[in-house]
Amino acid sequence: MTQLVGQELATGTTAPTTPTDEEQRRAGQWRDIWHLFTRNRLAIVGLVLVAVLFLTAALAPLLTSYDPYDQDLTNTLAPPSGDHLLGTDPLGRDQLSRIVFGSRIAVIVGLASILLSTVIGVIFGAMAGYLGRGWDTVIMRVADVFFAFPLLIGAIVIILMLGRGVLPVILSLAIFSWATVARLLRSSILSTREADYVMAARALGGTGWRLVTRHILPNSFAPVLVFATFNVGVAVVAEASLSFLGVGVKADVPEWGNMIAVGRGYVGTSDYLWLFPSIAVVLTVLGFVFVGDGLRDALDPKLR
Amino acid sequence: MVTFIIRRVIQMVIVLLGATFVLFACLFVLPGDPIASLAGSERARDPAVAAELRQRYNLDDPLLVQYGAFVWNFAHGDLGEDYAQRRPVNEILGPKVVNSAKLAGVAILIDVALGIFAGIIAAVLRYSFWDVFITLLTTIAIGFPVFVIGLLLQQTFALQFGVLPLFGMNDGIKSYILPATTIALVDAALVARLMRGTLLEVLRADYVRTAIAKGLPRRTVLSRHAMRNAVIPVLTYLGISFGGFLSGALITEAIFNWDGIGLALVVAIQQQNNPIIVGIVAYSVVIFVVINLIVDLAYAALDPRIRLS
Amino acid sequence: MQRRLRGTAIAASLAVLATVAAACGGDGGGEPPGEAGRAGGTFRLGIVEPTAIDPYNSQESEGGLVTKQLFVGLTGVNDAAELVPGVAKEWTANADCSEWRFTLTPDTKFSNGETVTADSFITGMTRAGKKSAASDVAYHMAGIAGFDKLQDGSAQTFSGLSAPDPNTLVVTLSAPDCEFDKKTSHTVMSPVPSAAGEATNAGFNEMPVGNGPFKMAEPWQHNKSITLVRNDQHSFGMTKLDRVELTILNPNNAAELEYQGFQAGQFDWARMPPEQLPAAKARYEPMGQWLHEDTNGMNYLLPITEDGEMASKEARLAVSYAIDRQAIIDGVFKGFQTKSTTIVPPVFKEAYQQGLCTSCDKPDPTLAKDLAQQAGLPPGTNVRLAFNTGGGHELWTQAVKAQLEETLGWRVDYAGEPFDEMLEEQRQPKAHGLYRFAWGADYPTPDNYLFPLLATASINKDDGGTVNGDNRGRYSNPRFDQLINQERASQDDAERVRVIKEAEKLALDDMALIPLWNRSQYRLFNAQQFTGGGLDFNEYPPLATISLK
Repeated sequence: MTQLVGQELATGTTAPTTPTDEEQRRAGQWRDIWHLFTRNRLAIVGLVLVAVLFLTAALAPLLTSYDPYDQDLTNTLAPPSGDHLLGTDPLGRDQLSRIVFGSRIAVIVGLASILLSTVIGVIFGAMAGYLGRGWDTVIMRVADVFFAFPLLIGAIVIILMLGRGVLPVILSLAIFSWATVARLLRSSILSTREADYVMAARALGGTGWRLVTRHILPNSFAPVLVFATFNVGVAVVAEASLSFLGVGVKADVPEWGNMIAVGRGYVGTSDYLWLFPSIAVVLTVLGFVFVGDGLRDALDPKLR
Repeated sequence: MVTFIIRRVIQMVIVLLGATFVLFACLFVLPGDPIASLAGSERARDPAVAAELRQRYNLDDPLLVQYGAFVWNFAHGDLGEDYAQRRPVNEILGPKVVNSAKLAGVAILIDVALGIFAGIIAAVLRYSFWDVFITLLTTIAIGFPVFVIGLLLQQTFALQFGVLPLFGMNDGIKSYILPATTIALVDAALVARLMRGTLLEVLRADYVRTAIAKGLPRRTVLSRHAMRNAVIPVLTYLGISFGGFLSGALITEAIFNWDGIGLALVVAIQQQNNPIIVGIVAYSVVIFVVINLIVDLAYAALDPRIRLS
Repeated sequence: MQRRLRGTAIAASLAVLATVAAACGGDGGGEPPGEAGRAGGTFRLGIVEPTAIDPYNSQESEGGLVTKQLFVGLTGVNDAAELVPGVAKEWTANADCSEWRFTLTPDTKFSNGETVTADSFITGMTRAGKKSAASDVAYHMAGIAGFDKLQDGSAQTFSGLSAPDPNTLVVTLSAPDCEFDKKTSHTVMSPVPSAAGEATNAGFNEMPVGNGPFKMAEPWQHNKSITLVRNDQHSFGMTKLDRVELTILNPNNAAELEYQGFQAGQFDWARMPPEQLPAAKARYEPMGQWLHEDTNGMNYLLPITEDGEMASKEARLAVSYAIDRQAIIDGVFKGFQTKSTTIVPPVFKEAYQQGLCTSCDKPDPTLAKDLAQQAGLPPGTNVRLAFNTGGGHELWTQAVKAQLEETLGWRVDYAGEPFDEMLEEQRQPKAHGLYRFAWGADYPTPDNYLFPLLATASINKDDGGTVNGDNRGRYSNPRFDQLINQERASQDDAERVRVIKEAEKLALDDMALIPLWNRSQYRLFNAQQFTGGGLDFNEYPPLATISLK
């Protein structure tokens, strides 16, 4: 998925000339991007899904009539009914509440791990791309070390060390995702650095920090943004996979991966146990994928 | 070119050392004593036996000493001995590596066939029903976690329709189909999207437009000019994917009882069987890195822009 | 102590074994073999990869399953948890149980034709006890004189073993043990042929040669299969099956694979994942293929009694009264467990005291709250509840957590850890709280529950305060120790049972262990093609007596 984004994105840009013109143009650029984005129907669907996800996570207690931790041993494994719209789990807990509250974990883990990996990746990628030579080699080799671990395997090793829980999952996912972000940003910066407009800005006397923040970063950032958006989906699936393997968040936390892991034993007998959390995962990931797709198409200057 | 290769190989070795050291350090600080309990049971080991084993496996040595010994042995192809069965890790993992490789091989074939084919159709027939259908399908496929796909396939084809074996490797070719498809499906969706994307980009390029303007038949343009350039990024992506497949598809192997290294890793982690964990992760890392290297070299060879720079 | 059982008793015991197996086969599973059974057939089942099948190190249940088919030891155990003759047709102990004399049935053979003698046993036990073997199961022989020297490498022979003549084995113990004969049923004390060599002989590890009802058809195909064929040199009764094919499954979801395999007709014997028990029972019980047995095992919560929140009897009783076992059994296990009111499981019919633990029978929230207050653990107290992951214990431990929180208002620190980590934690001087725990006896005696788990001698702390013995709860009661020692020194069976019962009552009054439920085992058996299904004392299918219909 990472290669996908790297290859698909073009990184040429148009060149602003003076500061005031640039600000105007930038405002215009954003409006253009928004227009392109909203024209894409799938992107709208994605945006809606993501919005629903966030709202569900934020308003969870208001949306449910049961406490997701509340056990009812007299009513376990009950199929969907008027009382429990999505049935109850093997401890009698209301499935609907657990799915709704599960969105919190998905949002927290998804956003936090990607945010963390993006921040780390951007810092190191920018350093490598802009400072070049020595910094570049060292940072890229370190990135390679982390890049060498397949995501799940690396995450499992970290979690073994730190124990189960939300924080270790976030950390482990972030640790093994930042390398791709760094690589992406670095190559993006490398190509922008040599662009005419940057040379022009430098010739005009622009230096260092201003150069990086005003000219290079904004134009190299697009691939990172798109990648990050996709990656939230990847993070949600990875997190569910870890829980599925028994090395994710703690066992009693309402979380989709945990629920699917439990439901897996009931395939064929109580399918609603794994089906609904699976749908939740799929829809969440799709939301981010659609948005990422739309973002990529909108940011691609060749299509503008 | 030669210096390029040498440089990259040296980088690879450094990365390997770094990665294995990180792994070793992580396992070293794990709570719990891997020798403390009898494997597969819930009894504590006799302290005298535990002491004997600690000595045998040098578990009381400091981290650096253990790591040094590991690297030395690794360079000689020796991954140490498994704590439980007391057999060389190589002997235990060897057949599993082969099994994972076989599965990866079939998976990559499915991946290539489905992915490239679907991608080409979507690009060539842009905006048609097929394009929309394929684009939608591939986008949706990305959202499905591997375990959901595996379970669904197993339920449908093995239990419901009974046409394919439920698990195991004993039915010849038929055994490969479900697990390989499970591994390949999501990746094929990504390949299709990538193929479509690069092909579309290439088809817009000037030299292609020129070729068409020149009057060359569509098919020739496609095969001789467009595909050759469009397929490069896809091939590099497939190379990386293959590396990923070889590292063992943990979840798929668990669901289908495929005796490969992914499954061995899951079990070893539950049993805290460190030599196996180190062996498998080290192997995965080596594969990943080596394949990355090959892909990089191939990309450099194929893309004249890089080769000539 | 005299135990005299004639040679013909061997055949009789096998018949008893078979009938009891059939009777214990539960609701309609299997008819008595021998009448309907005929020779032939291949029996197929699934197991997980054993650690070892060579008797020197065979340790867990799947390894034991194979080893028991390949080897017959001095003694065996029948379904009634009684010791029965194996190669030894009779055995006696001297007055203070410090020396045992086993008389072997003469002229029994290994599958390679070699005769089994007392020396074969000495060879087997010595090779397992040597330091270089580092055997995980040698400790079962720790009571034999000369064991320590063998273990620390200063001796290469087992001085406590001798064979005055080919059919007599004399075992001298380093300390008197009136139940030593029960220990001889363990596979580590199997006889081996002279070709066995040292414990490190990989050839023998992969393809052991024994005197059991079956022999290896080929070397162990790691992670794929183990294939057994009938051993025609077997001297103890006629095995009917031609072949046994054991498919090795991945431990991650072995029960699921076994069950699916059974449904698909690939296996003739299978466990089931607990979630599928209701559906499986509904489908297979009417077909007579359903087996159920409460076996040699028990499930508890282990309280650390030395220090911490569970140090007082009141605290432990509070926990026991707060847990509604039946609700968990009905809700989580859908009725497929039986609540336990004892430490010693029902399989030991004479020593079993049903209903001994009153707090286990019915929960009493008010009394529980009272006791918690008395123990100084008011609502809001932090209490630790830990369990090992990967064993399917997530759900019911959450139920216990919820019950403790609801009834007693405690804040339960709920932790799932890999088994090794949990074990390590329990051994540390600073351990505290409650742990999920289970135990099964190695020998067919209730002493093997009470002594290792509750005797002071079983704590075995080293200088750092780490517990090396099996009594990780650190229960220490001089009166209990007194009773246990009395029981161990007694040569009178009835007396022993009486004292064991008293000791168990003492321990339960102190709530030294908090019983939860028995070990209920369920299996599926292909009764359409085979007869003689059941679970033996070790929960194995009685392969030596199963036959085609």
